[in-house]
Parts: sequence; structure tokens; C-alpha cells
Amino acid sequence: MANTETALKEALASIEGATGAALVDYTSGMALGTIGGSKGFDLNVAAAGNTDVVRAKLRTMEHLGLKGEIEDILITLSDQYHLIRLIQGRGGNGLFLYLVLDNKRANLAMARHQLKRIESDLEV
Amino acid sequence: MAAEAEVLDELHRLRARVPQLTGALAASVDGLVLAQDTPGVEPEGVAALTAAALGVAVRLADATSQGDFRELLVRGTDGYVATYAAGSSAVLTLLAEDAVNVGRLHLEGRRSSSRIGELVEEAAARPEPVRTRSPTGNRSRAATEPPPPLPTRTPRGGARTPAPNTTTTERAGKSR
Repeated sequence: MANTETALKEALASIEGATGAALVDYTSGMALGTIGGSKGFDLNVAAAGNTDVVRAKLRTMEHLGLKGEIEDILITLSDQYHLIRLIQGRGGNGLFLYLVLDNKRANLAMARHQLKRIESDLEV
Repeated sequence: MAAEAEVLDELHRLRARVPQLTGALAASVDGLVLAQDTPGVEPEGVAALTAAALGVAVRLADATSQGDFRELLVRGTDGYVATYAAGSSAVLTLLAEDAVNVGRLHLEGRRSSSRIGELVEEAAARPEPVRTRSPTGNRSRAATEPPPPLPTRTPRGGARTPAPNTTTTERAGKSR
């Protein structure tokens, strides 16, 4: 079991091509923890913006009458991948992990696999 | 205070960017409304309460050595009231429904409050504090006209030539 800080550190250290990560509460849009990012890439802005993404998808699923749950959301930019992984169970409801990857260095399949492992180890 | 139109524009833009806002209001730190967009809520009351809450918040921050006042967030069961410092003489108060993205509320509120702070300070720095409603930006010409009366709250027993034998309480009652 890892706490927020350890989990984020592990995401940045062990996932090839990761440049930033955040644990975000999408009921409020605020980040519980962030790591990486830069002066031009504010992870708190990303947390608030991606909260809208997650909420929009959940609302759409509700309107469509879909019963399943979101496991993850992938956003592909021209030079980055953004991975959003919703945290399941154990009081982690309403949280997601957000990972920024440099697409030249990242292996998407591996990143997704590792993020899933980090999520299952995370204790908030 | 001048710059009312510009501040109001900023409030409208803010409400467009954060659709969960139910109201936005800019006030001076002493509780006078500068500009407001608060349907269904009485802006004067909110501005006055903001000033009172601000007074406590400033002292609380000071007493616990947290520096100057930055912002204040109140959460009710049905929504939020957020107040952000806008420069040294004004504040921005936002009302938002419970479903609001607080992260976004803070981001947009902080950005907007610093913009409003600039507008208010620019207006205060102008030689003649004339209210300019024309968007031309040609403010020096407006200064040749006599300035309209500023929207000030009349102090008790105010200066507006009360009838000699009316008491202050009677006057307050009549002005409502």
C-alpha cells in the first residue's frame, strides 16, 4: 500500500516518458497531490480542467443509460499522451490519477499497465 | 470608483466561463458595490456582509501570521460563497452552486480578481475619477465634464441637508 506522495513519485519514476502526475478529487476539481509539471504546465489547472472531462463523460454515460464504470480515459495530443485513471473502491471514490506522458519516450501499453498497478496499491 | 463598466464586463466573462456561478459581485473593501451580476440576490446586502467577513478574515490571517488576505471560501449545503482580494481596495465575491468545480472556481476567481484589482487601481490612479461608460478609452475628454455624484453610502445623519428637526433614525427609516 502506498500513500499519495509515494504513488505519485512512483508514477513519475517508474513510467517511462512520464513528465507529470496528479491525484485529483473530481467532486471538487482540486488536486490532492501533484508531481512534476513545469512553469508552463500547471498541474492544478490540469486537475480542474480534467475534472470537467471526467464529469462530462460520467454525465454522458448516465444519459445513455450505460451501467459500466470508467476505467481510464486516454487523450492523445500531437506530442503528449494524457491518461486519466479513475480510482475504484476503498474510499477512493471520486478520485482520479492523471498522468502526462511525452509520446516520443512513452510506451502507452506499458504506461497504462503500470498506472493500473499504482492505482491498485494506492491508499488515500 | 470608476471602471464600473469594465468590471461588469469582467463579471459577465467570468460567469460565461464558469456556468455553475449563480452570481458575481465586485465590492470595495468597505462594503460598497462596484459592479454586480447577482440575479435573485440583493447585492448591497452581500457586499456589506462580504466587508464584515473580510474584516474578520484579515484579522484572523494577521493574528495567525498568515500574511495578507487572499481568499475566503464558505460552503453551505446548497453551494459556495468565495471572496477573493482584488488589489488592496476591492474584493470579488462569487456565488456558486454545490456542483461547481472548486478547482476551476479558484483558478478563474483568482485570475479575475487580479484583473479587477488592476481595473480599480487604474481607475483610482486617473487624475479625475469620472465614471467612464464610453468604450473609446478617450478618458481625458471626459474629465472636462463635471463628475457625476459617486455612489457612496450616506453616513448616519448624512450630509444631504436633512430637514433640521428629523432624527437620524427617522431618516434611516425613510431612505429604505
